[in-house]
Amino acid sequence: MPPAPSGEIVQLGIIGVALLLLLFYGGTMWMSVAISRKQENADDYMTAGNRIGFGVSAASMTATWIWASSMYASVTAGYTYGVSGPIHYGLWGALMILFIYPFGKRIRKVAPRAHTLAEVMYARHGRSSQLMLAGSNVLGSVISLTSNFIAGGAIIAMLSPLNFGAGILIIAGGVLLYTLWSGFRASVLTDFAQVMAMLGAAVVIIPAVFFLAGGPSMFAEGVASGNVTPQQESFFSSDAFMNQGAPYIAAVLAYAIGNQTIAQRLFAVREDLIKPTFVTATVGYGATVIGVGMLGVMALYLGIEPMGGDVNNLMPQMVGTYLPVALVALAFVMIIGSLSSTADSDLAALSSIVMTDIYGQSVGRRNADPKLMLLIGRITMIVATGLALYFATARFNILDLLVFVGALWGCLVFPVIASFYWKKVTNTAFTVSVLVALAVFLPVRFELLPLEGAWALLVELLAIIGVGVVLGIMAFGFFGLRAAIVIGATATIAVLPFGFGYLRDFETLSGSLVAYSVSFLVCWLLSVRSSQDFDFSVIKSVTGDFDEETATAEDEEPTGHSAHRSGGDPDDDLLGAR
Amino acid sequence: MTALLTAYVLMWPVLVLGILITIARGFAKDAREARKEGRPII
Repeated sequence: MPPAPSGEIVQLGIIGVALLLLLFYGGTMWMSVAISRKQENADDYMTAGNRIGFGVSAASMTATWIWASSMYASVTAGYTYGVSGPIHYGLWGALMILFIYPFGKRIRKVAPRAHTLAEVMYARHGRSSQLMLAGSNVLGSVISLTSNFIAGGAIIAMLSPLNFGAGILIIAGGVLLYTLWSGFRASVLTDFAQVMAMLGAAVVIIPAVFFLAGGPSMFAEGVASGNVTPQQESFFSSDAFMNQGAPYIAAVLAYAIGNQTIAQRLFAVREDLIKPTFVTATVGYGATVIGVGMLGVMALYLGIEPMGGDVNNLMPQMVGTYLPVALVALAFVMIIGSLSSTADSDLAALSSIVMTDIYGQSVGRRNADPKLMLLIGRITMIVATGLALYFATARFNILDLLVFVGALWGCLVFPVIASFYWKKVTNTAFTVSVLVALAVFLPVRFELLPLEGAWALLVELLAIIGVGVVLGIMAFGFFGLRAAIVIGATATIAVLPFGFGYLRDFETLSGSLVAYSVSFLVCWLLSVRSSQDFDFSVIKSVTGDFDEETATAEDEEPTGHSAHRSGGDPDDDLLGAR
Repeated sequence: MTALLTAYVLMWPVLVLGILITIARGFAKDAREARKEGRPII
């Protein structure tokens, strides 16, 4: 066994941290400058021309999905729930990427040159559906950006004499500098370098901490010392599943639908490479995040108390306690890489939403000025950075906000997915179902009404239906409608016997499930008798390039859709095609 | 149990290494193709 930790952790010092940050952000800035153009193209700024290859796209998807909070949360899950904790965090997070790819293929088929999912909703339904999705995307990206700045400020403050405020300013400035000029292109290319640094560091750091902290003997000694409970020793912990895993399963599709960073890469990758890209990112994310979570499992068996009682300190604490300074520097780069790659993606996502959904589609695709679009995109990045810095200093509980936004996105999943397959879904069905789901979700999630009596039974019934909806949608992507109905119905019937009187104790899980079931029920009821027969080929003509430099003949809109050219509401026009 | 837990902890970095190699090879292929076609990689 190594000597017991003294409580001191290795410091990188102000010069060490400054050199590492200079190397990291200098390198990414150099890459960004290398691909910059005197005259950027508005479409490339958002989707890099819709033709990036496997290596770049897989690297970018992996780097974007691994963010600093996912590493911290996985370590916390390992420490709290034991050996199954990181699985119940990382596996479901990974499956978010995997389960969205069949839907992604469908989305690319109907809207091959779109920029945002909300833009496609505009073409499918109209302005209200577009703005609901765009609004939730903006909220999610600003929260994610804030969270990454907080993680950066915290790690700099812990490993150097610099304080938290200086830390978040350095991170925000570094990310903004290399992303501002080339937008998504810079985000994607720098993701490659960042993912190499992150994965390379994970390969070294996890076994290094394991062996330097005592190796295999830590397990038997941890059990003998009473550091772990039987639940924490179990690979099938019900505590871990109900409190950590189940709410994440419910959020699997919600995060993928609600997160514009995924949609942006979906529209950027070459269409035939969607599957290998998403599968690689699934394994890459899962292995890295679950692997880093093993630091939490080790901390648990070793009986380590988190510094200041804050479990978020565990990862830097484990690294700083057991590793030599060179490997601590490597871990520092891993964390900076994870948060920067996600933060630059959030900036690129936010700029795309404002460029496309706020400006582009409001004036009409053919009337949009690409130069003004680029200016709007860059201003958006600066404003978003300022907002995230403000929220970071206000120290909101970011993970709580994320869980809340994830459940909010749950209200959108069924209406969004159904809109890509079912011709009968109307704008009214989309909008009303999301709003009603939200109205039922909020009192459940925040316990505005005590979960008892008839209200509790109603919520549990909706949550039980929600289980079937979640699993049904997942099955639909891979196996089609018949399998989805069978699996969804079977799941609901299977949960019926024990769901009542039980689910009310898990308000986070119940809230998410209610969001799914209510949006499904309302959307289905309002659509099933609809006479609408939407022509999906219309979406391709409404979404497309804004910049003349990349416009192609196939983008020409069919006759009879002139309302879009003048920026009119597409519903006026699309009704003719239905 | 000790051997199982040790394998459980150490299997993840091995998987990560596999993905790292896959992505690096994919990136190198992208770069080669872009150079051959005379266009930027991104």
